[in-house]
Amino acid sequence: MSAAIITMPEPEVQWTLPSRGRVAMFSLIAAESAIFSIFVVAYLFYLGKSLSGPTPKEILRVPIVFTICLLSSSITIHLAVRSLQSGKLGAFTRWWFLTFALGAAFLAGTAIEWRHLIYDEGFTIQTNLFGTTYFSLVGLHAFHVLMGLMALFTVWLLTLLGNVKREHAERVDVLALYWHFVDSVWVVVFLVVYVIGR
Amino acid sequence: MVDSAKSAVSAPDKLQLPAPTAWPIVLAFGIALVFAGLVTSATVSVLGAILLITGAVGWFRDVLPHEAHETVPVLPDTAVIQTSRREVARLGVAPGVRRAWLPIEVYPVSAGIKGGLAGSVAMAALAMLYGQLTHGSIWYPINLLVAGFFPAAATTAQIAAFNLSALLIAIPIHLLTSLLVGSLYGVLLPMFPRRPILLGGLFAPILWSGLLFSTLNIINPVLNKRISWPWFVLSQVGFGIVAGIVVSYQARIRTWQNLPFAVRAGIEAPGLMTEKDQE
Amino acid sequence: MSTELIAWPRAPESSVPFVERLHGWVTTVDHKRLGLMYILYAMVFLLIGGIEALIMRIQLAVPHNNFVSPQVFNRLFTMHGTTMIFFVIMPLVFGFANYLVPLMIGARDMAFPRLNAFSFWLTAFGGILLYFSWLGANGLYGAGNAPDVGWFAYAPLTSRTFSVGHSTDYWTLSLLVSGFGSIGAAINIIATTLCLRSPGMTLGKMPLFAWLNLVMAGLVILAISPLSAAQIMLVIDRYLGGHFFDTQAGGSAVIWMHFFWVFGHPEVYVLVLPAFGIASEIIPVFSRKAIFGYPIMVAATVAIGFISMSVWAHHMFTVGMSSNANTFFVLSTMAIAVPTGIKIFNWLATMWGGKIEFKAPMLFCTAFLFQFLIAGLTGIMQGAAPFDWHLANSYFVIAHFHYVIVGGILFTFFAAFYYWFPKVTGRMYNETLAKLHFWLFFIGFHLTFDFMHIPGLLGMPRRIYTYEPGRGWETWNLIVTIGVVFQALGILVFIVNLLWSYFKGKTAGNDPWDAWTLEWSTSSPPPAYNFAVTPSVKSRRPLWDLKHPEDPDWRYE
Repeated sequence: MSAAIITMPEPEVQWTLPSRGRVAMFSLIAAESAIFSIFVVAYLFYLGKSLSGPTPKEILRVPIVFTICLLSSSITIHLAVRSLQSGKLGAFTRWWFLTFALGAAFLAGTAIEWRHLIYDEGFTIQTNLFGTTYFSLVGLHAFHVLMGLMALFTVWLLTLLGNVKREHAERVDVLALYWHFVDSVWVVVFLVVYVIGR
Repeated sequence: MVDSAKSAVSAPDKLQLPAPTAWPIVLAFGIALVFAGLVTSATVSVLGAILLITGAVGWFRDVLPHEAHETVPVLPDTAVIQTSRREVARLGVAPGVRRAWLPIEVYPVSAGIKGGLAGSVAMAALAMLYGQLTHGSIWYPINLLVAGFFPAAATTAQIAAFNLSALLIAIPIHLLTSLLVGSLYGVLLPMFPRRPILLGGLFAPILWSGLLFSTLNIINPVLNKRISWPWFVLSQVGFGIVAGIVVSYQARIRTWQNLPFAVRAGIEAPGLMTEKDQE
Repeated sequence: MSTELIAWPRAPESSVPFVERLHGWVTTVDHKRLGLMYILYAMVFLLIGGIEALIMRIQLAVPHNNFVSPQVFNRLFTMHGTTMIFFVIMPLVFGFANYLVPLMIGARDMAFPRLNAFSFWLTAFGGILLYFSWLGANGLYGAGNAPDVGWFAYAPLTSRTFSVGHSTDYWTLSLLVSGFGSIGAAINIIATTLCLRSPGMTLGKMPLFAWLNLVMAGLVILAISPLSAAQIMLVIDRYLGGHFFDTQAGGSAVIWMHFFWVFGHPEVYVLVLPAFGIASEIIPVFSRKAIFGYPIMVAATVAIGFISMSVWAHHMFTVGMSSNANTFFVLSTMAIAVPTGIKIFNWLATMWGGKIEFKAPMLFCTAFLFQFLIAGLTGIMQGAAPFDWHLANSYFVIAHFHYVIVGGILFTFFAAFYYWFPKVTGRMYNETLAKLHFWLFFIGFHLTFDFMHIPGLLGMPRRIYTYEPGRGWETWNLIVTIGVVFQALGILVFIVNLLWSYFKGKTAGNDPWDAWTLEWSTSSPPPAYNFAVTPSVKSRRPLWDLKHPEDPDWRYE
């Protein structure tokens, strides 16, 4: 009976586990993606189903400049995290603030656009299905940008107060993940609202 | 603790745990009130927002720059981990081995397929013998097998006559069914590893005949009307016995269930298994 | 193990004033206390939801009954469904996951203890907000108080036109609040199982309970989020005058159904996967065999997780989807029976040839196996679209999913209560009372839900507050109601048993079942830090290795 004599050798313990911050942020991103995908599906489903005007083509202006602002903030936050990881606090502070400024510019852009739509065009969330889906999808994204900006601003304040150091790079990196997510959601929203939907 | 011998040496006196904090409940209550304000009154939402901000700030100060901890004393624990059951003597599988998955060797699935092919020949021979003896024609059972494709009103004379297209349809049907039954047989073999002839010669024909007995009226009503069940079972038994004999001449192979997963997955690396076969 | 050591953690508790003890519980971030709070909270709502069910059954016991008005009946079934799903089974799931997952993987706490407390309190306040509607939503003439739109709240019933007042808003907002809590708890469970395992516990050696909770948490993230999104849309419709589900403005009522069931069907698996996990822990211990086919169990779990995301519209065969869509959802529904079937066979194979001890936990798990099988079979019946056209919205559906949720899930959770009671309290439950509970509940369950299938086949629709005599439904409904009495008695015995055993039970010791997972290696109840020394693990049954050093598992895995 030779066959049964096969056993595993004693396992060696070499123990590394993923970082809980990153895992949790990826889980949160998965949850947020699910929420956004429902709104995106609703937007696409209701495209052209409005019973009355106006249509997207008539009133939407493509926010190219603000989109570039938001997307480039992904690059600046990446550079900021890189600087922090290599211990260059000055560079970190500058890149981080630039990220905040770019994000704030984007949010201001959304505010200007909404102001134009609501006051100049008289187009609100109640106007028609397009209004309902447009304001809720873009508004949901703007809400996430706002949350991200608040977090970015807090970190910036803490940096100015000298509380952010090199050992916080991992936490800052997790926050940067969220910001990358907000940016990539905008790519989807932009494609859906301003390219496909228009 | 788990490694009780070690823990006696290395268990610390004190441990740090996250400190209790009220901020999560304040924050949660704030959020709940913000929403409750929508169904009650705006002042509730305002109160909720105040609580929300307070809770968020408080929580933030709790974890930054350092997470708040409390120190708790470690209680003495002398528990020894041991089974509360009787230890029983075990059957030795081999020297130094306490566990084995049985059976150690089985017939391969391919043995079943070979047996099925051999059986199909035996079965065809028996069936044609039946045709010759009862209706004087070896074509009779062949035509019956494909009778499902012909109008149900066919006469006995028509069925007994040679028909090329019927033959060409019957051969694939017969081969395919034999192969299917053979491979089913092969799959079942590891569960009944000892007596392939008994399984093939008795159990399988009875089960198969029973299955056909109940369904044949739907599959092939003409065959069902004219079938002679004793002969049918006999040819099945012939199939099974021949298949069983063929199988029992095949070499057995070792089951893989004793091998580690890495070996089964085909990973070849030294040290995965102890080499005892060379003994 | 002296009794003194076991009694130690409890002694100082009783000398502390009540207010301070309460403060300790309210501010705690300890996973064990939060787990217990989840479970207690679920028990309270189980009683409330059970009483609602009892009232409904009294109303339906005989035709033309006037026990409650139609309006109250609508509120009862809405609240019963919402309560049982969101505020009983979900908290039970999270409670057991919270309590046991860190102990099983050898961790000191969850990955995010404060987030854990936050999630619990969100869930708790969500439930309170929902029940506040009985008082708070009163006011407007003609407006009901509690939500009365059914637990899946189909549009356009939820529109301002058809649901005046705030009753529907209470439903939406409370589910939104508790949904955020669920997402937080799920993130926590994922981070805990992935990042806090003790040394040596690779994913392939993690206890199945932890594995199933990991997949459950993943499903919560992908299922509760769409629900939250849909609820936000409903709030936009009701408060801001949006048109998502407003058919007058081109909106679609069907898309609400899609959004709801995109949540609703994975939700069933969110609830049942932890039940599978419990069975996968209890059945091996009481069969004295290692679980059969561990890798396949994990694979089947992950497969269920994936397939469950693509079956939702089998709730909607009668809505009038295209035949392609119907075919797809029939096939995916049939497909999900395969991994579930694999699991049932694996549990049977675990029991096969084992030395089975029918203690209360094992009794409940054995009943679960058979009842869940039947529930799955009636599920396949309704999964076939043509048959579903006959059965949809009848009592057959009610019987089917109560078979899943009571016969499958609640039974395993009862098993879990008994199995881990000695670990949580340090005392043994009363086996006689537990068996009495089992048999009462078992008889009651079968009286109620076996016979509920029949009026469904005879055409009795769900959600009717009374019915005409002479349709052949009377006897069945009476039997169903009688069964509820047995179930209520069973629950009563259960509660008496828990209370009595908590105060008077025999001390249990650390490891009363001679079990194999890490939670049994620490004292009962576990100290705040769980393990003074982080255990290191070599196989799926670390305690087996320690108890049988001459024949450890890791040689064979």
